[in-house]
Amino acid sequence: MMHPDYPLPDVDDPVMRPFWDGAREGRLMLQRDRTTGLLHWPPKPMYWKGGARLEWFVASGRGRIYSYVVAHEPFLPAFQHLLPLVLVLVEVDEGPRLVGYMVGCRPDEMAFGMRVRVVFERLTERVTLPVWGPDR
Amino acid sequence: MADVGDDLFRRIQDRVAIVGIGHLPFAKDIGRPIADTAVEAIQLALDDAGLEAEDVDGMSMFEMESTHEVSIARRLGVEGLRWWDKISYGGGASCATLMHAAAAITSGLATTVVCHRARNRGAKTSRPWAQERELVRDDKALHVPWGLVRPVDVIGMWAHRHMHEYGTRREHFGNVAIAARKHAQRNPYAMMRDRPLDMETYLAGRPIGWPLTFYDCCLETDGALACVVTSVERARDLRQRPVLLHAVAQASGSNPVHLANYNNTPAMETTSVFCAKLLWQRSALQPRDMDCAQIYDAFTPLVITGLEDYGFCRRGEGGPFTEGGRLELDGALPVLTSGGGLAEAYVHGFNLILEGVRQIRGTSVNQVPDCKATLVTGASGVATSAAVLRVA
Repeated sequence: MMHPDYPLPDVDDPVMRPFWDGAREGRLMLQRDRTTGLLHWPPKPMYWKGGARLEWFVASGRGRIYSYVVAHEPFLPAFQHLLPLVLVLVEVDEGPRLVGYMVGCRPDEMAFGMRVRVVFERLTERVTLPVWGPDR
Repeated sequence: MADVGDDLFRRIQDRVAIVGIGHLPFAKDIGRPIADTAVEAIQLALDDAGLEAEDVDGMSMFEMESTHEVSIARRLGVEGLRWWDKISYGGGASCATLMHAAAAITSGLATTVVCHRARNRGAKTSRPWAQERELVRDDKALHVPWGLVRPVDVIGMWAHRHMHEYGTRREHFGNVAIAARKHAQRNPYAMMRDRPLDMETYLAGRPIGWPLTFYDCCLETDGALACVVTSVERARDLRQRPVLLHAVAQASGSNPVHLANYNNTPAMETTSVFCAKLLWQRSALQPRDMDCAQIYDAFTPLVITGLEDYGFCRRGEGGPFTEGGRLELDGALPVLTSGGGLAEAYVHGFNLILEGVRQIRGTSVNQVPDCKATLVTGASGVATSAAVLRVA
């Protein structure tokens, strides 16, 4: 049961919408520039530089732990049941670093560079959160 | 981007001075609204300068201030307010209040500007991160929905990576906490006076956002502080020895995300890197010329990365730089000589400006002998600001 005060994202944000739509359907979506091949994270608005340069694509959903923090009390009530919560910065194989948290992994199992894969955590009918688990 | 490095900026360099400072005693619960404490702090700063409210025509403050300029002006008796400004990004705004004041004064938009910060954060319910309710939008949607909300965790992410990449140790963070606490012992206003800290206690601190623990975190304080800025010409006739604003800068860095900007270039360098570059370009003085430094210390690792960012040591050397008491009063580079946010009070770094002024005046409780120049910095991670203060 999701806590009533959970800080839900605005999934209708015009820039982020493809990311949240993808997550709801079990896909990790990222954005790249067709012209340069460079990825943009955080993503840019689709009208950027006259439009037509950007596209969203399905990412591998795999990456490595770039950094992490183990959160203890006092914390937000909505996350209380997850403490100690392992907050992570994942460098996905495509390049960008995404904020997330770990599931199925104890704090003492964490390591820099460890392989992780995306896991989809459904919070509401509209909001699914991409989180991370060990890529065993 | 054109390098504005900066002929324009010579119009500001050493052209304005901080001529008055004032603050209320810091407290866990100050018992008064900031609309009231702000005004008193400004009054104290004007008294210190030997100026009257009627002399003030400009106001520069933090965007987070809930008090209106006109309310402050009315209560103080400022008659001819003709320029004001509010600067965003919390602790990133501290030195920017000085920069904007300097720009207004040197361009003729104002003659005498009061800058201030009044903040009631002592109460636990006042923490912004404990008040997320609405849908999370824009930048915050990139990290808040996963629970990366508390600044300690956001900064912990940088700090842990720094440890991994450069071998920085918790003892290095401890050296920062202990230096700040040591300096607080002689400061009658410091919240942590009479509460010294040793390494054993530091290392046993309870985890908050591991690897950061209790003693890595700044205080939460109610406080109100202000300073008065005017032209060097006017400053000559005033009561105090003027403290020159030698150089000042404001920068947001590349690809910024409010506080959790982990995808900037170069990777994982904080906003301070960009601010430092501008600052030293604009300054005839360089890091080696600083007799002490007031480096923003919301969390201990920010001082270590700050030392690197502002060029006191190379990238990755900030940890070892803290060894051997180097940051303490008799060390090579005393930092946070009032105790800073870690041990004096956490008021978004405005107390670091006041301590910088006292060091240049020669009136600090931890006076660095013959202090001719000092660096004051704003919060790393957010869009930030920094200043070099020097003797006239």
